Amino acid sequence: MIEFYPQIKMLHVTTVVASGSLFLLRGLTLQAGEWGRWAMAAPVRYLSYSIDTVLLTAAFMLLTILPTAVYANGWLATKLVLLVVYVGLGTFALKRGRTKRVRLACFVAALATYATMFAIARTHDPLGPVRLLLA
Amino acid sequence: MNNAKRLWIGLTVLLAVSFGVLLWTGGEIHRKAPPMPETVVTEDGTVVFTRADIEQGRQVWQSIGGQQLGSIWGHGGYVAPDWTADWLHREAVATLDAWAREGYAVDDFASLLPEEQAYLSRRLQDRIRLNTYDADTGTITIDADRAAAMAEVAGHYDRLFGADAELGDLREAYAMKNDTVPDAAHRASLAAFYWWSAWAAVTERPGKEITYTNNWPAESLVGNEPPASAYLWTVFSVLFLIAGIALLGWHHARSGEEERPDKLPESDPLAMTVVTPSMRATAKYFWIVIALFLVQILLGAMTAHYQVEGQELYGFAISDILPYSLTRTWHTQLAVLWIATAWLGTGLYIAPAISGHEPKFQRLGVNLLWVCLLVIVVGAFAGQWLAVMQKLGLEHNFWFGHQGWEYVDLGRFWQWFLFIGLGLWLTLVGRALWPALRRRNESRPIVVLLFLSTVAIGLFYGAGLMWGEHTHLSMVEYWRWWVVHLWVEGFFEVFATAVIAFLFTRLGLLKVSTATVAVLFATIVFMAGGVLGTLHHLYFAGTPTAVLALGASFSALEVVPLAYIGFEAWHTYKLGHATPWMARYRWPILFFTAVAFWNLVGAGLFGFLINPPLPLYFMQGLNLTPLHGHTALFGVYGMLGVGLMLFCLRGMKPAAEWSEPVLRTCFWSLNIGLAGMALMTLLPIGVLQLIAAIKHGYWYARSAEFMQQPLIDLLVWMRVPGDVIFSVGAMALAWFVARLWIAPRKPAPVGAAGQETARS
Repeated sequence: MIEFYPQIKMLHVTTVVASGSLFLLRGLTLQAGEWGRWAMAAPVRYLSYSIDTVLLTAAFMLLTILPTAVYANGWLATKLVLLVVYVGLGTFALKRGRTKRVRLACFVAALATYATMFAIARTHDPLGPVRLLLA
Repeated sequence: MNNAKRLWIGLTVLLAVSFGVLLWTGGEIHRKAPPMPETVVTEDGTVVFTRADIEQGRQVWQSIGGQQLGSIWGHGGYVAPDWTADWLHREAVATLDAWAREGYAVDDFASLLPEEQAYLSRRLQDRIRLNTYDADTGTITIDADRAAAMAEVAGHYDRLFGADAELGDLREAYAMKNDTVPDAAHRASLAAFYWWSAWAAVTERPGKEITYTNNWPAESLVGNEPPASAYLWTVFSVLFLIAGIALLGWHHARSGEEERPDKLPESDPLAMTVVTPSMRATAKYFWIVIALFLVQILLGAMTAHYQVEGQELYGFAISDILPYSLTRTWHTQLAVLWIATAWLGTGLYIAPAISGHEPKFQRLGVNLLWVCLLVIVVGAFAGQWLAVMQKLGLEHNFWFGHQGWEYVDLGRFWQWFLFIGLGLWLTLVGRALWPALRRRNESRPIVVLLFLSTVAIGLFYGAGLMWGEHTHLSMVEYWRWWVVHLWVEGFFEVFATAVIAFLFTRLGLLKVSTATVAVLFATIVFMAGGVLGTLHHLYFAGTPTAVLALGASFSALEVVPLAYIGFEAWHTYKLGHATPWMARYRWPILFFTAVAFWNLVGAGLFGFLINPPLPLYFMQGLNLTPLHGHTALFGVYGMLGVGLMLFCLRGMKPAAEWSEPVLRTCFWSLNIGLAGMALMTLLPIGVLQLIAAIKHGYWYARSAEFMQQPLIDLLVWMRVPGDVIFSVGAMALAWFVARLWIAPRKPAPVGAAGQETARS
């Protein structure tokens, strides 16, 4: 499979961006009030599920292709923990948050988590965001 | 004579004749099975193998998981090769290479001109297909060239099943752990067994031009091609199918609309059912169903993952502790176990509900059986782990280890234990049903039918006890398919049809007389094909041509009722909307409708795809087999198990409010996930393998060379979306069941619950 590494990575990155962008759009429309229904409409939810399933598949593929040494410093483990946090915050931002303030706070926190994960993935370093800021 | 009586007589005669023929065929298989030689000697009298070597080799093969790691005569797992076809190809190539070096001074057979290759291949066919078995002395005589080629192949297997570093990549491609068989003597006898299976596949029956396995596997180098009978009976089977469809169509046209009850009940009749202590005790059967189902999915994911990383799971050396043959064994066994547990639980739940009678100590019996089932699962699995890790020794393997027969893998002791457990189940259901069986009212025939199907489920598992440790492979296969086909596919189906019809009569939606006739008729129709259809699994298992003819003809008839399953699906769906309170049963009904859908797609279409002899000659053991396996076993019986479980839970927790979103997620995820797995991975890989098998021979379609191509790898990965969606469905089901006990939703009044659901 290593011969398909560039394509799979591109698929992964594309779906990461697509997933994040869709979340951003959904969160913003929900905050906007009158357009809020759009964010939770069935086609939008299914689009989100589809993107995330492809993203996950590509992630699993990358995981088997790359040698384990690549993950030795724990950046992937950190990212996975943050993924759980991101998903949790995401559901509160879009669905479970009872008040508008809670939804907004969770939305902002989710975006910050996403940005952190993005930085970790780019730098292959659990402290990637800090290093990026210091640099 | 009334209609029902005529049908009862018809069913009895049909079963008597079908089983008579099936048993006669068993006798024929026994008489015409490929012989087990006492010795295999070269022309100068050197002993190459003895019967003891071959028999011990089979024990070794069984102890490492047998059919769960690669396959023999096409029956077994799909990642490692078919050892019969692999041996045959390697032996043919070794002989031809040697002749090419000697006669033409080239490196190998592939370097020869086509006409030279044709000459040598013909020479090989004349020698290798010749039957040199002497029945009087029990000796097979081989020439020196063949002995040399066999030694070369045996050497390859010795290194493959050991820890030879050079073959590490191949082991990884086959998902075999290093040192699969640590003992060198065991590896040598394993080779003897593989050779014997290949000998039977290439040696012509005395006085005939077909081999013991009806020329299976396809291998042009040795002249193995589909026999004329495969073409003939394939065409005839299609004719029988069309004729059967026409006949049943005529019947449906004649019989018209069924009689409906004059007045439908105004509220749910079952809501008044008194839940007795023993009925309540069946709850834990359903909890264990959920637990086993989740573990089965996890093991399935690991088994599938072994196709991309042969010894690892994301960098973790999993094959050292849980090798492929174990994950696959447990995955396939758990499928039968959790589905069977759901049905056992259903039987125990509805029996007192039907009769209104709670026999003494019934609850104790239910609890005891549950503990027995747990002990069987844990004990049998522990034995299998010890066997595959080669810690048990051959002596105890048959009784306590791994029998190596797919779906009947558990050691003989555990098989007996399960058989006794099923006897206990039968007793418990029987004694609870007894008052209803004795009551001479109009419900009696359908209760009798339900009871007879439980008797059949209890007793027919006994077919799995009919073989011994050294019974001939062909005969083991014969009895094994009694269990897998007759028990699982036949009598589970009778039980399912009877139980669903019965539930509808209890709900007051069907007249008992109509339901009885419909169930009897349905049973006759699918038993007409089902009993002798068992033989379609045995075309190439060292059996005579009669098996091929009977199996092809009758298994085509199995598909006939499936062509009309739309009637049943619509009927079920309609009943689901017959009264407002039926909304309470919306989800069990939808699962029953899904059963009908997958019966058509998984059992009917994907089943018939591999059913006739000619397709199966190329397709058995390719990914088209799990395509049928997953969509039929989960699609039909799994969905049914879930449906029945939901039905029982409705009664057990009558006041609980069911979460629509959770059940909707569960239902659609399971269906979409299953379709995804089937259509995105199994079907495309299967079709690619089929083309390869037809073009280059069966061995190639199963070889590492073919299966390790990037395209196949990619298709395997395409399973992930489907599998993830499927898992979400299973987790939703687990969540739903858990919530019925843990912090259930605010109870709503019984009558109102349905209406609320209907509105939502």
